[in-house]
Amino acid sequence: MNCDLVLTVCPFCGCGCQFYLEVLDGEITEVVPCKTDEVSGGQLCIKGRNAAGFIYHPDRLKSPLVKRNGEFEATSWDEALKIVSGRLSEIKQLQGSDSIGILSSAKCTNEENYLMMKFARAVVGTNNVDHCARLCHASTVLGLANSFGSGAMTNSIPEIEGADCIFVIGSNTMEQHPLISSRVLRAKEKGAKLIVADPRRIPLVEFADVYLQHRPGTDVCLLNGIMNLILSWNLADNDFIAGRTEGFEEFKKKVGEYTAEKVCQITKVDRTALEKAARCYGEAEKASILYAMGITQHTTGTDNVESCANLAMLTGNVGRKSTGVNPLRGQNNVQGACDMGALPNVYSGYQSVRDEASRGKFEKAWAVKLPQEPGLTETEMIDAALKGSLKAMYIMGENPVLSDPDVNHVRKALSELDFLVVEDCFLSETAQFAHVVLPACSFAEKEGTFTATDRRVQRGRKAIEPIGDSKPDWVIITELARRMGGTQFNYESPEAIMEEIVNLTPSYGGISYERLDSGEVLAWPCPSREHPGTKFLHEEVFARGKGRFFAIDYEQPAELPDEEYPFILTTGRVMFQFHTGTMTRRVPALEREAPTGFVELNPEDAARLSIVQGEKVQVESRRGEIEIKAFVTDRISPGLVFIPFHFAECAANELTSRNLDPEAKIPEFKVCAVRIYKGDKHG
Amino acid sequence: MNRGNGHKSVLVIGGGIAGIQASLDLADMGIKVYLVEKSPSIGGRMAQLDKTFPTNDCAMCILAPKMIEASQHPNIELLTYSELEEVSGEVGNFKVKVKRKATYVDWEKCTGCGECTQTELGGSKEFEGEIWVDRIKIDEASCVQCGECTQACVEENKERHAMTNVAFERRKFVELPPEEREGGEPEILAQRVALMDEESRADFWHKELSKCIKCFGCCDVCPVWIYDETELENPEWIAPGEIPPAVPLFHIIRAYRIGDSCINCGMCEEACPVDIPLRTIHQLMRRQPPESIFEIIPGLEPEIKGRLVERVKERPVVKTEISK
Repeated sequence: MNCDLVLTVCPFCGCGCQFYLEVLDGEITEVVPCKTDEVSGGQLCIKGRNAAGFIYHPDRLKSPLVKRNGEFEATSWDEALKIVSGRLSEIKQLQGSDSIGILSSAKCTNEENYLMMKFARAVVGTNNVDHCARLCHASTVLGLANSFGSGAMTNSIPEIEGADCIFVIGSNTMEQHPLISSRVLRAKEKGAKLIVADPRRIPLVEFADVYLQHRPGTDVCLLNGIMNLILSWNLADNDFIAGRTEGFEEFKKKVGEYTAEKVCQITKVDRTALEKAARCYGEAEKASILYAMGITQHTTGTDNVESCANLAMLTGNVGRKSTGVNPLRGQNNVQGACDMGALPNVYSGYQSVRDEASRGKFEKAWAVKLPQEPGLTETEMIDAALKGSLKAMYIMGENPVLSDPDVNHVRKALSELDFLVVEDCFLSETAQFAHVVLPACSFAEKEGTFTATDRRVQRGRKAIEPIGDSKPDWVIITELARRMGGTQFNYESPEAIMEEIVNLTPSYGGISYERLDSGEVLAWPCPSREHPGTKFLHEEVFARGKGRFFAIDYEQPAELPDEEYPFILTTGRVMFQFHTGTMTRRVPALEREAPTGFVELNPEDAARLSIVQGEKVQVESRRGEIEIKAFVTDRISPGLVFIPFHFAECAANELTSRNLDPEAKIPEFKVCAVRIYKGDKHG
Repeated sequence: MNRGNGHKSVLVIGGGIAGIQASLDLADMGIKVYLVEKSPSIGGRMAQLDKTFPTNDCAMCILAPKMIEASQHPNIELLTYSELEEVSGEVGNFKVKVKRKATYVDWEKCTGCGECTQTELGGSKEFEGEIWVDRIKIDEASCVQCGECTQACVEENKERHAMTNVAFERRKFVELPPEEREGGEPEILAQRVALMDEESRADFWHKELSKCIKCFGCCDVCPVWIYDETELENPEWIAPGEIPPAVPLFHIIRAYRIGDSCINCGMCEEACPVDIPLRTIHQLMRRQPPESIFEIIPGLEPEIKGRLVERVKERPVVKTEISK
C-alpha cells in the first residue's frame, strides 16, 4: 500500500487555498486541508472539501471525439490532431489568420495559458486570444491600470485582517470567496468597521455596521456621494493627494455635484446610512475596499472600478498594509491567465502588442513575425462568428454557451462556425457544438503554477496519472503547435515553459519551481531571484507614476425596466456551485445542496403576481425565456429579481443582455429588464 | 547535543505518543530531555482514543505506563502547559525560549491530595480522573470560575494551600455582581459565555452561528462523528442550499450527535473557516444543561420553546421549502 499526500491548489475560486490530495495506490481518496497554508490555514469551504469529487466522474472524456454526421465518434489522438491541425491550417491559409479565434482558460495553469497565447500569436498568427476574464474582471484590468498602473489586487489576503474599515461593494464574499470572508469576520472581531453595499441582502450583511442597499447599476453615484461627504467633512488625505496623485481638481468639481439628497434619491439608500458609511471609511486609519462582479459587470464597469480607486486615493488608502483596492477574482487562475497575456492586446506581463520594443522581444524569442493590431475580445469573437468574419474557434476549458450573455446568440454564432475545437474534461454545453473535442486532464493530473487573486503564484502538483486517454492541456497545445509548423514548442515539462515565461515577463522574473517548492510565498511583481515578492503594490510610487483621479459621471445601465419588462434581473452565483457547473454539478455533496436554479423574488412582488414559494414561473426578457422555480425572500428588494447562472436547465444567461462596457467590452450581467408570469399562462 | 560545551540535551516538542517515546529512548541513552507540551498533560491524541489501529489494543494500556515513565524519568524534564516561543542558534547549539502558561497552582506546595478534583464539577463522572500527570492545574479553557476547587484546597490543606491568589481572585470575581467586576470580562470564552445573562447569551450564539457557511468541515474532521444523512441533510430540517443553515438547529443536531463522545480535541474549531467557537459549545454542554447554552429546553411543550428559537422566528434566518 502506497500513500502520498500531494500539495496542490484548489481548482475553484481565486482565494487560492492550498490543500493536500490523499493518494492511495494511485487513486485520490480525500482532500486534506493544509494547516501551514497562508490563506486557508487548514480551513476550507464546502467546494474545497469536495474538490476531488468530479475527478473520477464517469462523464470524464476519455478519448478524442470527432463529429461525423452529427454524432460524436471516439477516435485516436493522432487522427484528432491531424483533423484539427489540417482544418486550422486550411482556414488560416484561405481566410487569413484573423478568421480564427482562440479562447484560453482561467482554469488552466500559467504555463498552459502562456502556451495558448504563444500558439495563437506565433503559430496561428492572430491576436484573437482572450479568456473569461472578459466576463468578470476586464473592467478591473483596464480601470485599475488607468488609475494606478496595475490591474490587480493591491494588497494580499492575510492583510485584510488588519484593516480598521472594510468596504465590501458588489461582492457576495461569504458565498463566493469564503476564505476571504473569514478574514473580514476576523477583522470585525478585532474591532474593524464593516460597510456592505449590495442590492441583495447577502449573508455578510448580518455582520455589517452599515448596509447600503443601493439599486443595481448606481455604484458610481453611490461612491461619488460618499466621496462628496468625505470631502465636505475634510476627511480627505491632502498630503497624499498633493504628493502622489493627479487630476484632483477636476475630480473634486465633479464629485461636488453629487449631493447627499441627489445620491439618496438615485440609489434609494438611506441618508443616515450613507453618512455613516462615509464617516466610517473616511475616518479609518487603514481602510480596505473589496469588490467583485457587482462593480465590474456593468456597461459602466470601468467607471465603477475607477470610482473605487478614486475613493481609496482620496483617503490615502493605497500603498500601505491592510488598505487598498482589492478586486476579488473568481477563478483559481484568472489572474494568471491575464498575467500570461491570454488577452487580445497584451503579451505576458501586460506588455502591449502595439509597443514595438515588446513585440520585438517576443518576435526574437519566438523567431516569428507577430501581428501588431490588438485582436478580438471574447464577446466580439462571438459577434464576428455570427457575422461570418470569424470562421473557426479553438476553445480551451471554457463554456460560453452558459457563461456568455444572451446564450441564444452564442449558440447561433457557434453553429455558424466552419470549425470548432473544444478542449475540456467533460462534454460541456459548448463542446456539444464542436467538430472535434479533445479530452483534457483535470487539475489533479498535471503540474503547473496558478496565480491567486492576490498575485500569489503557487504550485499545482500532479497527484494521479491522466484518466483514460486524456492529456494535460500543455501537451495538447505543444503537439498541435508542432503539427502546425510551430518550431519553438519543444518543452519537456511545465517547468521548462516557466523558464521561458520568466525570461520574457519582468513581473515573473524571480519565480522558479525551486523557490515555490521550497515553500516561499511569492506574489508578483517579483523581478529577480533574490526578490521576496510583493505583498502590497504602489508603496512609494504608483506603478504608473502618479495615481490618476478620474472625474466620473453617473450613467444609467443600458437596459432599464419599463412597462413591458418591469423587473430588473441581476445574476450571480451560489455558494454550492461554481460557474457553469461543469465540475461542481458532478459532485453529489454540492448537487444535493443546490440541485437547480431559482429566481429570488421579493414577497411584495410575489403577492402581487400571486406566486407562492417553490412555484414554477416563466421569466422572460427581450432575448429569451426560461422556466424556473420561484424563491420568495426579503433579501431582495421589490422590483428586483436574482437568478444564479450555473444551471443549464434554467440558464440566467438566456435572458441577459449583450450591452458592453465601451472600453473593457465586459457585458452587463448585473442589470437587464425582465418580466415574470406564472407558468400556466401558456398552458 | 552541544558540540562546544559538552552538554548533551535534546528538546522534544509535543508530548503525544511519538514525543513520549522519543523522549524515553533519548533519556535511556543518557541524554537530558526537555519535553514541551502545550496542553496541561502529556498523552496527546492517543489518550483520547479508545482503541488503536490496527490491533484494536486498548490505547490507554499502551500509553499510560509510558506517560508515568516519562514523568518519573530522571533524565526527562516535563514542561507541560508550555509553548515554544523562539528558537535561535544553530545545529548543536540551539537556544530556545519556552513560555510556561499559568496553572494557578503552586506546584511547590501542592501535595497531590486530589481534593480539588472531588468537587461537584471535577468529581462528576465525566471528569473523574482528570488528574494530570504533573499534579493539578486549572484548565483555563474549561474553568467556569465556580471556585469550588480553591475552597476544597483550603479546607484540606489549612496551613499550606496550593491554589494561588489568582484562583482565589477569580472566585471572588464571579461572586461579585456584574457591575462591580473590575477589569470587565474574563478572557476565556467559556467563562464569558457562562457568565452572560440569558439575552446576551442568545445574542452571542446567534451571532456566532450565523457565520456558518455550511462547509461541513466540523463533521468531516470529527473523530467521533457518526455520519447520518437523515439529520443534517434532511431538507425538512435544514433547507439545502441555504447559508447560514437553520440557526441553531444545524449546530444543535451536530453537537447532540457528538455529545458525550466528544474527546475535546478541538479539530472542529480548527477546521471552521469562520471561527465559530465549536469547542466551547462542547465544553459547556458537558457540564451545563442545554437550555443554558442555547436557550432550548428539551422535552418541554412546543409552545414553551427557548428564547433563541423565538428570536430566530423574529429574524428569518431560516428559509424553508426551497427544495420542493
